[in-house]
Amino acid sequence: MKELSVKDFYHSKKKDFSLSLITNPKTLENKITSPYLNKPGLAFAGYLDRFSYRRIQILGETEINFLNSMKPDELYDRTSEIFHYDIPCIIISKGLSVPQQMEYLADEMNIAILSSHMITDKLFHSLRKYLGAYFAPTKTIHGTLVDVFGVGILLTGKSGIGKSECALELVERGHRLITDDVVKIVFNDDVLIGSSANDFGNYMEIRGIGIIDIEKMFGIQAVRIQKRVDVQVELMPWQDNMDYDRIGLEGNFNEILEVKLPVIYLPVSPGKNMSIIIEVVAMNHILKTYGYHAAKEFTKKLNESLQKKAQHRSMIVDDKE
Amino acid sequence: MIRRKVKVVNKLGMHARPATMIVKTAMKYRSKFIIKKDGAEINGKSIMGVMTLAAEYGSELELIADGVDEEYLMNDIVELFASKFGEE
Repeated sequence: MKELSVKDFYHSKKKDFSLSLITNPKTLENKITSPYLNKPGLAFAGYLDRFSYRRIQILGETEINFLNSMKPDELYDRTSEIFHYDIPCIIISKGLSVPQQMEYLADEMNIAILSSHMITDKLFHSLRKYLGAYFAPTKTIHGTLVDVFGVGILLTGKSGIGKSECALELVERGHRLITDDVVKIVFNDDVLIGSSANDFGNYMEIRGIGIIDIEKMFGIQAVRIQKRVDVQVELMPWQDNMDYDRIGLEGNFNEILEVKLPVIYLPVSPGKNMSIIIEVVAMNHILKTYGYHAAKEFTKKLNESLQKKAQHRSMIVDDKE
Repeated sequence: MIRRKVKVVNKLGMHARPATMIVKTAMKYRSKFIIKKDGAEINGKSIMGVMTLAAEYGSELELIADGVDEEYLMNDIVELFASKFGEE
């Protein structure tokens, strides 16, 4: 399980979330292990049955007002009870201050209290977005990611099958390369986002030539930093007994980080212009997302014709009367 | 070269699935394979060709196989029609 130390979080995100540390710097030693947030209003009211203590605790204006309305000993008891849990840190919004006892207990029990100038709602959403991205499941895949007409196409297949050459042809036709050979895929916000696993730039290896620089060669319009992955195209040598999709009614899916990604098995053979076929894959995907499914439309027409002709036959041709 | 007449006996006629089965079966053999219906003649190894025939329930087709393994091809295809492509 990935983790983030409160110290690293505080130092790297101080500006973004306009944070300042209220407690002693030694309280920054805890670890954040969850991308979620919690508002511990009910916990301070005494209900601790389902207290999500592993999350960062956010205190807004309502919670602070509630704490200030409590009797001093009651506040002390509740706070020390809550602080016995393994809380990573507490963040106060709107630049509000916390009651004295709470600050004292946080120092004693090593729980950092940070204050942010952001309003609660904004803080909640920005934090959630940042933590969501930080804790997002990640996977690296051997393949090439290209943006074809705005559709993220992940080219996969054995080494030497021609993924890079295919991507090169696509770039030459005005499409954009995200990364070649190793694609880092992150699952965040319900989509798969692919990017380069390194930050050297857009280099590519072409067999027989060696390493080339796509950005230098084709310009900035030929590259992009990241792209949502929409379709996987698996390039494979032609096999006689392989069950290729002939109509495209059902379609195949591949699971990457628990996302069902449409996959197309594409036989490669000499003389076949792969880049045009990939463009067709992209355009067909766009049509499908716009609600037009060519294979379904075609078979619908065929079925209607079959039904009509069968009816006609039973009424006229087979009528021997 | 062998010729055989068959009737479409499954209720839905030769829609996408049976058409795919015919083409995939024919592709296993080296012989040429032609399907004739109402004077139209198409390549039995082409999916679009077979679907263009739009052979409905009760219609009659003429199958023509030509090549070294024509008998095996014909037997397999005739059996497919007889089995109603696994349908009603």
